[in-house]
Amino acid sequence: MESGTAGGVAQHELRQRFRDELSSLEAHTLGALDLVTMQIDRSLEALEHQDVELAEMIVADDDRLDGRFLEVHQGILSLLALQAPVAGDLRLVAALLHTIKHIERMGDQCVNIAKLIPITGWEPPVDDELLMTILRMGRQARSEVVQCKRAFTERDVALAEDLVRQDREINRANREVFRRAIDIGDDPDTREWAMTMVMVARAYERVGDNAVDIGEQVAFVVSGLFREFSDSSHVPGSK
Amino acid sequence: MNPRDTETQTPPAELRTRDVNAPSETAMADAIASATVKGEQPPATGRTLNVDSLQAYYGDNHAVRDITLTYAANRVTAMIGPSGCGKSTVLRCLNRMHEEIPNARAEGQVMLDEIDIYDSKVDVVAVRRAIGMVFQKPNPFPTMSIFDNVAAGLRLAGIKGVDTKQRVEESLRGAGLWEEVKDRLGSPGIGLSGGQQQRLCIARTIAVKPEVILMDEPCSALDPIATLKIEELIEQLKRDYTIVIVTHNMQQAARVADTTAFFLLGDLVEHAPTGKIFSSPDDSRTEDYVSGKFG
Repeated sequence: MESGTAGGVAQHELRQRFRDELSSLEAHTLGALDLVTMQIDRSLEALEHQDVELAEMIVADDDRLDGRFLEVHQGILSLLALQAPVAGDLRLVAALLHTIKHIERMGDQCVNIAKLIPITGWEPPVDDELLMTILRMGRQARSEVVQCKRAFTERDVALAEDLVRQDREINRANREVFRRAIDIGDDPDTREWAMTMVMVARAYERVGDNAVDIGEQVAFVVSGLFREFSDSSHVPGSK
Repeated sequence: MNPRDTETQTPPAELRTRDVNAPSETAMADAIASATVKGEQPPATGRTLNVDSLQAYYGDNHAVRDITLTYAANRVTAMIGPSGCGKSTVLRCLNRMHEEIPNARAEGQVMLDEIDIYDSKVDVVAVRRAIGMVFQKPNPFPTMSIFDNVAAGLRLAGIKGVDTKQRVEESLRGAGLWEEVKDRLGSPGIGLSGGQQQRLCIARTIAVKPEVILMDEPCSALDPIATLKIEELIEQLKRDYTIVIVTHNMQQAARVADTTAFFLLGDLVEHAPTGKIFSSPDDSRTEDYVSGKFG
């Protein structure tokens, strides 16, 4: 006999199927962040070595993230319809819906980067300093992705809030890339490459933003309050 | 007659509605016996109930119209719908209790696998043993102990040749009640809480090893925790039995049922996987009912 019937149904075993489904949905959602880290790693390698084939793999594999989005979305709808979660469970389900959307956007940013790689041509990169800054941004974005996954898994609000600090570094690097792109040269080829790199930098910066957004969901799940950790629509110091 | 294991079936005289002494007339028991390896527990699979063109009447009132529906084996099927829609009437037709009501009758076919329970050769007592029912208000026999309440099921069905003590324990375990009552089997059944009484009734029902368990709003008299415990129990029971549950509580149907059938004014409107009924039902009447626009 299962423990559920052998000794009567213990309190913690109530709605066990619901608990299992909810934790499986959470694992399925956060597991997609591993796919994102893999895509970021590939994008960094593809950029560094001008690897167009690797870039094509990134584009093709984004289907997995899109598929994961649909599965999680369907799972959330099913859980809402059939189990009527309330309180913390409801906040978690709402957070997972937002989170999987952010993850899907992260995936799209990696695709954007991958599609820019063939444009940069078969020649070696024009400016090492610019490329190094971009690779640094990519690694920073990767670190934020890993950290937001851990923050959510462990419901660690402090770790989630720390993402803002990391994200400031990406934003700073993004501005550096922009300035450097203006400075590096006059000929059309160089300018084209520089503009492409600005777009790549922007894509990494957006990955970081999405990681911060996931961090905000962590705070919502824990506290029930939704607040933006940092609101870029306001000029610093003006509020 | 060996409906199950080494039991012999001799219905008590007061329940005999026809001459049941000729073994071949009890077709259902025969079929059950032939499906069972002698001396062993039957395989842990429930049976499918197929309803075809079921009609039910209270006198001239055609209360249930032309119902065709399959209750899949080892699944929970919920029947929902507003008061008076016919769901409880359908339930009572599934074990031939509807005809016990004065002036009530049913027509059509209800097949337990290959056997039509409405066939004139079928013993109605055997039907009600194979298709058990749990009612809305827990109804343990008030003068009996916990033990006797469970054993009563065996005695009423005339099942002999069974180790009663062992069967009672098995049934109480199967109903998730054993640990709570094992040290007071002699105390009165009505001394238990509402939720426990309902589980006692479930134990009584499964003591006779039915194929199908019918439940008529089994939790509506219970508090929320007791309700969830019964739902958890239903989740376990479906491994061995086919379960049909009538419920007013749509959230309960959503939590517990594999498929849900929506009834309205005596008609079956829609029967589909529960997820579909509660997310994107085909019929607008179903949509209106589950989203609370009427009820």
